[in-house]
Amino acid sequence: MDWLSDTWAAYQSTLGFAAVNAVLALSTYAVLSAGVLSFASVSYAAFGGFLGAQVMLHAGIGPLLALPAAILAGGVLSFLVALIFLRLEGHWMALASLALVLITRVVVLNAPALTGGVNGLSIPVELPIGVLILLLLLLMLIFQRLAVSWYGIAARAVREDPAVAASLGMSPRRVQMIAFLISGAVGGAGGVLLAVMLQFLSPDTYFVNIAFTMIASVVLGGSYHWAGAVAGAAVFTALPVIAQAVVPAMQDVANGVALLLIMIFLPRGLIDPRAWRRRRAARRRNA
Amino acid sequence: MTMRTESRTLLELDAVRKSFGGVAAVASLSLGVPAGSVMGLMGPNGAGKTTVINLVTGMFPLDAGCIRLAGDDIQGLPAHRIAARGIVRTYQNVRLFSGMTALEQVLAGCFLRRGTSLFASFLGTPAARAAQARATEHARHLLARVGLAHRADVLAETLSYGEQRRIEIARALGAAPRLLLLDEPTAGMNAQESAAIGRLVHELRDAGLTVLMVEHNVRLVTEFCDHAAVMSFGRLLVAGTPAECIAHPDVQTAYFGHSADAERIRALR
Amino acid sequence: MELFAEQVLNGCALGALYALFAIGFGLVFATLGILNAAHGTYASWAAIAALAATERLGLPFPLAVLAGVVAGGLLALFVDQVAFQPLRARGAGMLAALITSIAFWIILDSLAGFATGQQSLSFPQGSYPARMYHLGTMPLPAMQLLTIAAMLVATFGIHLLVRRSRFGAAMRAVGWNGAAAALGGVNPRMVVLATAFLAGATSGLAGVLAGISTQNVSFSLGEGLLLKGFAAVVVGGYDDVRGAAIAGVALGIAEVITAQYLSTSLRDGITYALLLGFLLVRPRGLFGRAGFVRA
Repeated sequence: MDWLSDTWAAYQSTLGFAAVNAVLALSTYAVLSAGVLSFASVSYAAFGGFLGAQVMLHAGIGPLLALPAAILAGGVLSFLVALIFLRLEGHWMALASLALVLITRVVVLNAPALTGGVNGLSIPVELPIGVLILLLLLLMLIFQRLAVSWYGIAARAVREDPAVAASLGMSPRRVQMIAFLISGAVGGAGGVLLAVMLQFLSPDTYFVNIAFTMIASVVLGGSYHWAGAVAGAAVFTALPVIAQAVVPAMQDVANGVALLLIMIFLPRGLIDPRAWRRRRAARRRNA
Repeated sequence: MTMRTESRTLLELDAVRKSFGGVAAVASLSLGVPAGSVMGLMGPNGAGKTTVINLVTGMFPLDAGCIRLAGDDIQGLPAHRIAARGIVRTYQNVRLFSGMTALEQVLAGCFLRRGTSLFASFLGTPAARAAQARATEHARHLLARVGLAHRADVLAETLSYGEQRRIEIARALGAAPRLLLLDEPTAGMNAQESAAIGRLVHELRDAGLTVLMVEHNVRLVTEFCDHAAVMSFGRLLVAGTPAECIAHPDVQTAYFGHSADAERIRALR
Repeated sequence: MELFAEQVLNGCALGALYALFAIGFGLVFATLGILNAAHGTYASWAAIAALAATERLGLPFPLAVLAGVVAGGLLALFVDQVAFQPLRARGAGMLAALITSIAFWIILDSLAGFATGQQSLSFPQGSYPARMYHLGTMPLPAMQLLTIAAMLVATFGIHLLVRRSRFGAAMRAVGWNGAAAALGGVNPRMVVLATAFLAGATSGLAGVLAGISTQNVSFSLGEGLLLKGFAAVVVGGYDDVRGAAIAGVALGIAEVITAQYLSTSLRDGITYALLLGFLLVRPRGLFGRAGFVRA
């Protein structure tokens, strides 16, 4: 019986991290789906995470009440970031956002009042896994609504060809600004959820590793549908756990090889609406 | 023909100039497109025809001159605002959105006449849902109009070139333009398909739309355009009725080079 | 004053390492359009290879450096052919390549950990030039002079190669538009291979020199270079070798001077503060031009 509960505990935490990574991946997907490769989600998460943690610690309120503060923090930051980034050309924006990730860590280290500095921040708060899953489901519903709404149509058009989208009356800048705001709000939420999952924040929590986790989840899962971010986060979170169980000595190598193979054979990710449509068209032709 | 007021000019280019890296793509071009008519814009490759379309739609800023739509100065407006004023275009090298079905392409074209705010559409309020259903219905109607109703749910990039061109026209019509700019709408089409495009353009004109089309096919211009203009090296050679333009000696030289070449080209057609 | 001059020299030497690394990283980004997260591991492995060549094979210093440089280049070639070539062949974009590079980063970092026994190794005394020259009373360590010289040679060499040679024209053509370059008679495959090797070799050189001068040969070597080299690329601009070189040196000097006169805790901070400043003021880098607008 002990064995069973241990397995559940381990499994539960993997599930929890998968859910949090899914939220963070959705933050990156939000901008990517409007044609912007940005790692700035890490910064929104950091701001939302530390601010949410402080709110929980000082006001003594639960994570669900801290969530709106984190969402707001992420949203405000993303607005400021978008004002700067939307002036840059695509390649530069990607580089600049990665630079922002590096800068975030420096800011975290030098703002001990908010972040605890080098010592980090301990957050003795718990969130039941069920609530976390419910929050993720709610977020998925929101992304589904976004996808089928006029915003979603415009975002797809802007992503595929901003000049053509503009010639049809869509403002690429405005669409991408909305994308940034969504990304910021979701990133802030993801940041505070990560804080609650880890129960401890260090200056390295919101850094390059989480940036790569987000982008790898989105691309691995498929960057042309929101479900890709969720599926990718699940796979990306589970891979190291599986690798550790199968080849404990070489778990990182196995993890990397698996990631490599998936991307080489499915470069558009696990979930690819275009491939579904092509297959459906092929079936219809054969029938 | 008799009912139309030929005097009203919808689009007016006034001494428009644009250079790329010192090369004048359009040099002091003045041209008026009368409202409710079809104008064919001709000229050899590199004459600046597509640049004219790019300038009118706000893709590039002008170096000098002025562009007016129904009397209003539109130069300097961003591309999406120009589209909102009613100028919509198609592209010489078809530019459809990758990954979208034919219907989705046209629906994207209906963005300007969605009749609901982005936020209401996200919330899915009853009014927004109704508006979206209407837009989808309209997109289906437009697809049927270009003869592609049966292709609605097919991934557009898997369709033939001619079909893709027609989707692009339907997409442009989705934006409910006043002025439609077609950039070589019949390139790569056979005679039958070209004639179908010509008839469609006529129908659109009769419904009140103004069309400016870049077209190489002389027969098509004579048959379907009310007016024609010929450009060469960024300048206007001649404007008038299609027959006048084609008969003009400068046009013969500019378009076909030497008369021997002209013979050879006619033989190819 | 002499302390200041000494610190400037230290900064130049450190910055030369960043610059060398940044040149390779920027070359891949500009020519191949890949944001390569695995680039840091080339430096780590080059240092490990050079160390192995010294200790196991007993090669003299110049040959050991050469072994490291070649190892860096070959590793870059291997990663390119395994992780990027299949994606290029299928026309998949920059995103998929970023993820396969992350995969290789994980793999090569982990293997580097095994290779060094999860420790920080160092080159044995006497295996590299340790002479001290003097300018007046100011000491000029041979390794620092060597590092700066290597950086200058690499910068000018690659700058001339990219801007003045036929091969460089081909590289720029591929970076601009691979398909068009192929039509223009450029063999994109050869350009890709050569660029990957050159980039890996340059960053490998940075790795070997950094491994010697910091007395640290481990997987963390590449990571440090990756972050600082990346900063240099953003400040200097990825489409000009000189920009990355100048920015790398400037970052090195700024770091050392900050640590000396302000506070060691701000050492990393100054790099990224400069980065932020440049993003705001000169978002296209030192030599960046206004972008050519494509319709």
